Amino acid sequence: MSILVTHDLKKVYGSGESEVHALAGVNFQVEKGEFVAVVGTSGSGKSTLLHMLGGLDRPTSGSVTVDGKEIFTLKDEELTIFRRRKIGFVFQNYNLVPVLNVYENILLPVQLDGGSPDQGYIKEIIETLGLASKLNNLPNNLSGGQQQRVAIARALASKPAIILADEPTGNLDSRTSQDVLSLLKVTGQKFLQTIVMITHNEAIAQMADRVIRIEDGRIA
Amino acid sequence: MNVSNRKIIRRLSIASFKAAKIRNIITVAAIALTTVLFTVIFTVGMSMKYGFEQSNFRMVGGYSHGGFKYLTKEQFEELKTDPLIKEYGKRIFCGMPEKEPFQKSHVEVSYCDANTAKWMFVEPKEGRLPKEGTNEAATDLRVLSLLGVEPVIGNEFTMTFMVDGEETTETFTLCGYWDYDEITVANHVLIPESRTQEIFEKLGTQGKDGMTSFWNMDVMFKNASHIEENLDTILARHGYQSEGLDQGDNYIHTGVNWGYMSAQFEDSLDISTILALIAVMLLIIFTGYLIIYNIFQISVSNDVRFYGLLKTIGTTGRQIKRIISMQAFLLSALGIPVGLAVGYGVGVLMTGVVVSQLNGIVLTYSVSPIIFLGAAAFSFVTVWLSCRKPRTMAAKISPVEAVRYTEGAGTKKKSRKGEKGASIFRMAMANLGRNKSKTVITVISMSFAVVILNITFILANGFDMDKYLKHVITDFIIADASYFQTGSPEPTSFPEESVSQIEALDGVKGGRTYQKTFAAQELVTEEWVRKLNGKYNSPEMVDRYVEMLEKVGDLRAERVQLYGMEDFVLDKLPVIEGDLSKLKEGGNYVAAVCVTDDYGNLHEDSHWAKLGDKVTIRYVEEYEYYNPETGEIYGADEDLSDKRWQDRAKVYEDKVYEVAALVEVPGMISYRYYGADEFVMGADTFIRDSGTSDILYYAFDCEDDKVEQVEQWMQDFAGGDNSLYDYESRKTEEEEFDSFRRMFTMVGSGAALIVGMVGILNFLNAILTGIMARKREFVVLQSVGMTGKQLNRMLITEGMVFAGSSVVITLILTIVMGPLASDVLEGMFWFFSYHLTVTPILAVAPVFLLLGAVIPIISYHYVIKRSVVERLREAE
Repeated sequence: MSILVTHDLKKVYGSGESEVHALAGVNFQVEKGEFVAVVGTSGSGKSTLLHMLGGLDRPTSGSVTVDGKEIFTLKDEELTIFRRRKIGFVFQNYNLVPVLNVYENILLPVQLDGGSPDQGYIKEIIETLGLASKLNNLPNNLSGGQQQRVAIARALASKPAIILADEPTGNLDSRTSQDVLSLLKVTGQKFLQTIVMITHNEAIAQMADRVIRIEDGRIA
Repeated sequence: MNVSNRKIIRRLSIASFKAAKIRNIITVAAIALTTVLFTVIFTVGMSMKYGFEQSNFRMVGGYSHGGFKYLTKEQFEELKTDPLIKEYGKRIFCGMPEKEPFQKSHVEVSYCDANTAKWMFVEPKEGRLPKEGTNEAATDLRVLSLLGVEPVIGNEFTMTFMVDGEETTETFTLCGYWDYDEITVANHVLIPESRTQEIFEKLGTQGKDGMTSFWNMDVMFKNASHIEENLDTILARHGYQSEGLDQGDNYIHTGVNWGYMSAQFEDSLDISTILALIAVMLLIIFTGYLIIYNIFQISVSNDVRFYGLLKTIGTTGRQIKRIISMQAFLLSALGIPVGLAVGYGVGVLMTGVVVSQLNGIVLTYSVSPIIFLGAAAFSFVTVWLSCRKPRTMAAKISPVEAVRYTEGAGTKKKSRKGEKGASIFRMAMANLGRNKSKTVITVISMSFAVVILNITFILANGFDMDKYLKHVITDFIIADASYFQTGSPEPTSFPEESVSQIEALDGVKGGRTYQKTFAAQELVTEEWVRKLNGKYNSPEMVDRYVEMLEKVGDLRAERVQLYGMEDFVLDKLPVIEGDLSKLKEGGNYVAAVCVTDDYGNLHEDSHWAKLGDKVTIRYVEEYEYYNPETGEIYGADEDLSDKRWQDRAKVYEDKVYEVAALVEVPGMISYRYYGADEFVMGADTFIRDSGTSDILYYAFDCEDDKVEQVEQWMQDFAGGDNSLYDYESRKTEEEEFDSFRRMFTMVGSGAALIVGMVGILNFLNAILTGIMARKREFVVLQSVGMTGKQLNRMLITEGMVFAGSSVVITLILTIVMGPLASDVLEGMFWFFSYHLTVTPILAVAPVFLLLGAVIPIISYHYVIKRSVVERLREAE
């Protein structure tokens, strides 16, 4: 069963002369448990694609279906709630809440949803990602790699349908990149997660089960 | 939303709250200042309301809710047990002195228990109330001074007074005394109940007058509402009624303390006062809104990334709104109490300043919880209004924009012309354009204070002493003290000997005015009587009134007020039409007195007489009383109290005069009392025809170099509290004017000061947040070669543009709005002359420009110094 389906996804920025087709009809599917890498050069439309997949931005036309739900039929508030239940994000710049400590950051999506966290599961994630000794630290006191591991833990915490990773290693040196990526892959397998990762780095993309290439807003 | 969800929102809210220390300090200060403004308004308002009530109570002579009057002992014992009555007091009226030295005072000799004494403001400040079975008495200092007795406990004093028509002379031992309150009508001598009984027995008092020897019960209920109903309910329960004697002899007289009728205060609040109050409240809300909104707006703009991030991970708009609302709550909880405390202090000071300018209100400070609840509520509403829009803005932040937002990046502008290349000034201007709403609001907020200051200055300067003193038409006026109290229709004549004494002073030139307000009538048409009285009375009352007036042919005999003026005074009268020379020459001429308002505009139809009209004045020597139904004439000594009667002139003289002029009699030399048509005559004619020569007042001018001397003489002669006479002079009026102007200056400058602090705070916040948000950008600028000096120059330019724009806007506003405001102000204050002035703006301008330069520099160094440490941590 496909957990993620896009249908003729288009996004146009601006109008008239300055019209830019960031996405020009994208169709693909991701199966449950798959680790897919989306590769493209700067300006190819891959970030726009990720925003659409995560429901952060609305497409000009076309649809995205996550776990059987066509997400753009939802209103903004509903979409937000859907996002925190079904989609985990990992960003290039980590995007941790600076005023909350590591543990609070990890629990945030679950708590925002009003659910009580599955303590055993959370503990497992924390240990898998090697964060047990850092739980009380504020994000600013962590290295880049550590921050990204917190972001991965946060993405996993709500047991989402898919995890979207946007250049997760973009700010990291190559050794740390390898570590983080391995962890991402391992945890994905361990917790049966579907992962869609965007990157411009071919070497990193090769770690995925499948690679989708995007050029000028189309799948190549 | 369930509980655990609330918990994380609270956690997020408090965590991000703690991270915004500077914003919090500035916001708390802003909320506190706003609360100060509200609290001052509430304190002054409530204190004045309270003072007004207290004045009423003192005028009424007590603050008990009401009472039952003229009871028998049995009735008293029966009623006092009623459960509606919370507390009661007992009083037995004994008598009143009438002869020297009390001919001008209202003094009551009575027994009062402790409750009644307290409620009537007659608790001894020295000594105590009289003990039963002794010859003790307590009274006030005025009675003692009239008796010529030193206020020493144990001194004896003797008084002669009337008890139910019988005269008695009694000696008492002073056991306590209190200060005399000028507002209170009656003075009291309190004696023991046992002594009243002795006096009644000795004189065989029956209580023929219906008052003496009876018991009065003053009562307090649970609260001041439904006083009259409660009194009637109590009576009904015991089988009595208060309708009237004709309803049966179970009648008991009741009294309601009208000081409690809350309508009294509301009545005195006319619509314009209420509108002014609303306007002031809105101004304060606006002042607070300008800064609190700006702070939140800036804070949200700078935290767009933070909110966007929360959005990305799934925080809903509602949750984000809650985060901001909670911060607003926290900030209010810190700022409002501080504002209440400071505001109450300032309010107490202001109350003193304002009340000293008002007659008839005693200076009291209200501690009503309404002050604090009201001010807190208004402040909170202001905060709530202010953070509404920023809250919505934060809730609407799109997660995508959030990921890359910096201040101003969201603008639609795609490119800017840049042929000239970058200059410091152009960069500064561009920076101000990044967050236009911030720039505009900060400038308005700063301008606001200057506008208030300037208006205050224009007001205080525009109060025109010459206009104000226009009604002060003679240097001095002296008369019996009662003349200067409004509502005294026929003051005691000012003695001729005193006039002679004043006339003998060096450099003085003046004239007398004689008075006649009773037993003088004019013959006028019924139509005019109806018109004259119809203004203030119902048609039924006018009908009854007209019926009462004697008919003379087609005309009616209506009361008239006459002035007999010597030439000096006549010369002071503003003549509307005709001339006064005929009055001075003697002969049968009068001038009709027309009424004008404060602005000198003639009231249409304020007098029926036109130039050349004939008027018949009837001087009445003796009236007779008759039954209007049967025509029966009553005897001169007959008791008329239970009969229908009317009066008419029996012995009189009619004189016909020609109206030679229409004049105005300015307030200072008029009867100061409006009751009937008025005519002015020459002094000689007046004395010849009226047969009276009672002096209303003596008015005089004084040579300039003698003014000080004469003022001193007058002060000695008529200035003291114990003098029978009183006077007004140009100088006392000038002082009154000055203190009025001072009040305005103080209140206005106070307001401008606080609003100014708000404006500067707003400016500080705008600059500080602008610099903090651009920390990284500065590093970039410096890395491409901008020197620290250039950076400073850019920041100073930004600050100066803020300050400069405020000054320019204020100038434009003042110059454009001035003429508009002048009409409003001249309408509000009749002694106001509008002069455009921008002096305060120009005086404030350098201060603003200095702040505009200094604040950015200090802020920059503060931020940079801090960030040396923090930069390392902010690896993000």
